[in-house]
Amino acid sequence: MRESTVMFLHYITAILIAVTGLIHLLANNEPTIGPLIKENPVIYLGNMAIFLAALLYHAFNGVRVILIELVPDPCWTKWISWAVVIIGIVTYVVGLQVLLVALGLV
Amino acid sequence: MSTEVKEYALPPEVLEETVKASEELWKPIKKVKFRIYKYNPKRDYAPHWEEYELEVSKGMTILDALLEIKGEKDHTLGMRYSCRMGLCGSCAMMINGKQMLACQTRVIEAAGDGDVIELRPLENFPVTRDLATDFSAFFEKHKTVKPWIIRDEEELDNPTGPYKQTIEEYARYYQFTDCIKCGACLSACPTAATDYEYLGPQALAQAYRYLVDSRDDGLDERIAVVDVAHGCWRCHFAGSCSDVCPRGVDPAQGIQLLKGLIIRRKFGFRPHKPTEALPAKIAKKKEQ
Repeated sequence: MRESTVMFLHYITAILIAVTGLIHLLANNEPTIGPLIKENPVIYLGNMAIFLAALLYHAFNGVRVILIELVPDPCWTKWISWAVVIIGIVTYVVGLQVLLVALGLV
Repeated sequence: MSTEVKEYALPPEVLEETVKASEELWKPIKKVKFRIYKYNPKRDYAPHWEEYELEVSKGMTILDALLEIKGEKDHTLGMRYSCRMGLCGSCAMMINGKQMLACQTRVIEAAGDGDVIELRPLENFPVTRDLATDFSAFFEKHKTVKPWIIRDEEELDNPTGPYKQTIEEYARYYQFTDCIKCGACLSACPTAATDYEYLGPQALAQAYRYLVDSRDDGLDERIAVVDVAHGCWRCHFAGSCSDVCPRGVDPAQGIQLLKGLIIRRKFGFRPHKPTEALPAKIAKKKEQ
C-alpha cells in the first residue's frame, strides 16, 4: 500500500473516532437518545466495532510512524509495518470478543 | 561618431560623508569571544571547543571574523565558504544555536548584548572537519526527486514550440526556485534528526516546485519517489525549516501542498494538463 493511502486512512480514522466516540458518549450519557441507541444492538455494536477499528488503526499507525522514524533502516521499516498490522488485527479480534461478551451476545 | 568619456566624480561633501560612514563601519568597537567547535574525525577522539578573542567592527560578518581567525590565530580551522554574498549557501552553520549563513550575519547582531558567539557545524550532517560538514547525502536526496523538467525525449529532440507560462503558473513555484541548497532546513528539521532516510524539506520542496511547473510531465515518476515510507508523509509540520531558511523560502508549506497534491491525485486531479505548455501540440491534437 502506498504511504499516501496509509496516511489518508489515518486522517479518515481520526474523523471516525470523533464521530463514533460521540455516538458512544451519547448512548451512555444522554437520557433521551441514549436508550434508543443502546436498545438497538446492531447500531450500538456497529458503532463500537467501527470505533474500535478506527481507534486501533489510528493508534497503531501512530506507533508505526514513531518507530520507523526512530529506526529508519529500510529493512526494519518493512518488519515494523508487518508487526504492527499483525498486532493490530489480533487486538481487534480480542476487542470485538470482549465487546460481544460485555453486550451479552456471546 | 565620436564617443565622449565623461569622468564622474562624487561631490566633495558626498565623498567626505561616504568615507566617514565607511570608517565608522569598519572601526573596532567591541571585543567578542568566539567559541568554535573543533573536530577532525580522522585525528581527534572527541570534539572540543576553542576560544578566540577578536576586536570586531559594526560591518564585520561572522565569515569575516572566521577568516581573520584562520589567517591570524588558527590556520587549522576548517570551514566552507565561497561567494560571500548569501548566494552559494556554502557557509551555513550553527551561530548561537541557530542555522544561519556566516556571510550574512553580522557579529554585532549575533552577539547582541553579550560578548560570546558560539559556532558549531550544521546539525543532522556528518562533520568533515570543524565547521565544514559532508553534503553528499543531502545532494543525493536532492537528486532522487529529479530536480529538472521532465519531458518526452522525442519532443526534446524535435521541439514543436516554445514553453510558455502565465504569471499565475510561474507564481505557483516561484518561491521554491530561490533555494540555494545551504542545508539549513534539513539541519533544523526534527524528523531528520532521527530519520536519516527522510528525504528532507529541501528535496521535498523541490519535488513540489517541479510537480506544479506547467512545463513538467514527471508527475507519476516523481510521486513514486516522494510518496514512500520516508518521504513527504514524515513531515510533522514543525515549521523549523521555514523559520531558518536564509532566502525566505517556505519548504514546510511546499511539503503540505505536496501532500495535498498527492491526495487529490487519488481522485483524478492533476496539477496541470500535460501539454498545456506547448500550443503547437494542442493545435495538433485538436486537428486529430
